[in-house]
Amino acid sequence: MSNTHILSAFDRDLEGIQAMVMRMGGLVEAAILDAAEALETRDEELAQRVRAGDKAIDELETQIHAECARVIAIRAPAASDLRTVLTVMKIAANLERCGDYAKNLAKRSMVLAQMTALPGATGSVRRMAKQVTLLLKDALDAYIARDAAMAADVRQRDQDVDQMYNALFRELLTHMMEDPRNITAAMHLHFIAKNIERVGDHATAVAEQVIYLVTGAIPGDARPKVDSTTAGPAA
Amino acid sequence: MNDMRLTERVVTDTAKMTARGVQVHYGTNHALKDVDVDILDKTVTAFIGPSGCGKSTFLRCLNRMNDTVASARVTGKIEMDGQDIYDPRVDPVQLRAKVGMVFQKPNPFPKSIYDNVAYGPKIHGLARGKAELDEIVETSLKKAALWNEVKDRLSAPGTGLSGGQQQRLCIARAVATSPEVLLMDEPCSALDPIATAQVEELIDELRSQFSVVIVTHSMQQAARVSQRTAFFHLGYLVEYGETGKIFTNPDDPRTESYITGRIG
Repeated sequence: MSNTHILSAFDRDLEGIQAMVMRMGGLVEAAILDAAEALETRDEELAQRVRAGDKAIDELETQIHAECARVIAIRAPAASDLRTVLTVMKIAANLERCGDYAKNLAKRSMVLAQMTALPGATGSVRRMAKQVTLLLKDALDAYIARDAAMAADVRQRDQDVDQMYNALFRELLTHMMEDPRNITAAMHLHFIAKNIERVGDHATAVAEQVIYLVTGAIPGDARPKVDSTTAGPAA
Repeated sequence: MNDMRLTERVVTDTAKMTARGVQVHYGTNHALKDVDVDILDKTVTAFIGPSGCGKSTFLRCLNRMNDTVASARVTGKIEMDGQDIYDPRVDPVQLRAKVGMVFQKPNPFPKSIYDNVAYGPKIHGLARGKAELDEIVETSLKKAALWNEVKDRLSAPGTGLSGGQQQRLCIARAVATSPEVLLMDEPCSALDPIATAQVEELIDELRSQFSVVIVTHSMQQAARVSQRTAFFHLGYLVEYGETGKIFTNPDDPRTESYITGRIG
């Protein structure tokens, strides 16, 4: 199949919305990494920049939505073109949510900067953030490359993030049991960890959109989950 | 995964017409190559494809219109309700009463609106007396959603109507012989968008009574009106399937190229 439309403006439109979603992905990855760094280094200025930067991410989502509506109205996309537009819209919504989580992380890091640090916890959070942005990056790379196998791999790798979250959950619980004065900080850190874990779920959702884009079907099998924190009282 | 799609209104899965190994030659030109397809009963089937792909040729096989083309040679088997329509004992004129046709350009007879619709039933002897003929004319015009616009001027010439009205008159004329299948060869290409929408609405209503097969160059029209779509390319039937599937996730890359407006 030829890759270009007879009507070249249609190609420019489709490339345009995909470029916008990739730019959004870049901003979100940077926001998560910066927020995690701000948490560990207690850099309030960096945290403030992340909080302010979420506006640009939200605006991009609005813009992507408007462009997609225009493409649907004007070009009447079909088959793989239609799936491109639909997946761009869904991925933009996923990324917007990830941006919110980064903003929330930055906000909590400013509160935590005023408290006594819990040893080791912020380092674990930052490792988790790195892992999860890697997932997001790979899911978006798979999107551009139309690589369903790579997307399927991202789906599998979300388990690693879940495991990191489980470990951190226990660590924070231990801190709280040791000394009730740790509870406020540990609670904030727990919300942060949970939010980063949610970013992993959004990366998985992006990967599923890649599979839909390439194959025309959303993977039906339940994806692997290893969140043991809801299985019962943690030991 | 549960299938929660809001796809189509119920479609019967009984075949009204079946074609097997249909080949058409126009002289030395091999226009249609080994086409197998089932036209479902009470279903709208759209034929799409670029110009010269064989879709109109195949449509014309379904009521033996190709018999009128001297150089055309049709081989293979086409059955309607299990009966071979190319059987020498089948009278093509009778067949065309059962398999009606509407053409690209509205072509009313240079007669009154009434006579345009009454012509078919008259020559096929479908009406006993004037009262019955009047009734056929009225119900046919109603089925074609034209009755209210013309009931006060049935004796006016059909050619005096607007393009959209003329096309609906032609549909009324085709419906008047109580066809079992209605073939439409680009019925809206000469109509404005409002008249097109009226004809499309009509097609959707007609399918409760019989099968409709429509050839169209407008892929949006095929997507809007049909439940089954067949894509023809270079004389081959490339892909045939549920319309929603063809337009969201076709199996064949050639179908994908065509419906997305890429060079095939």
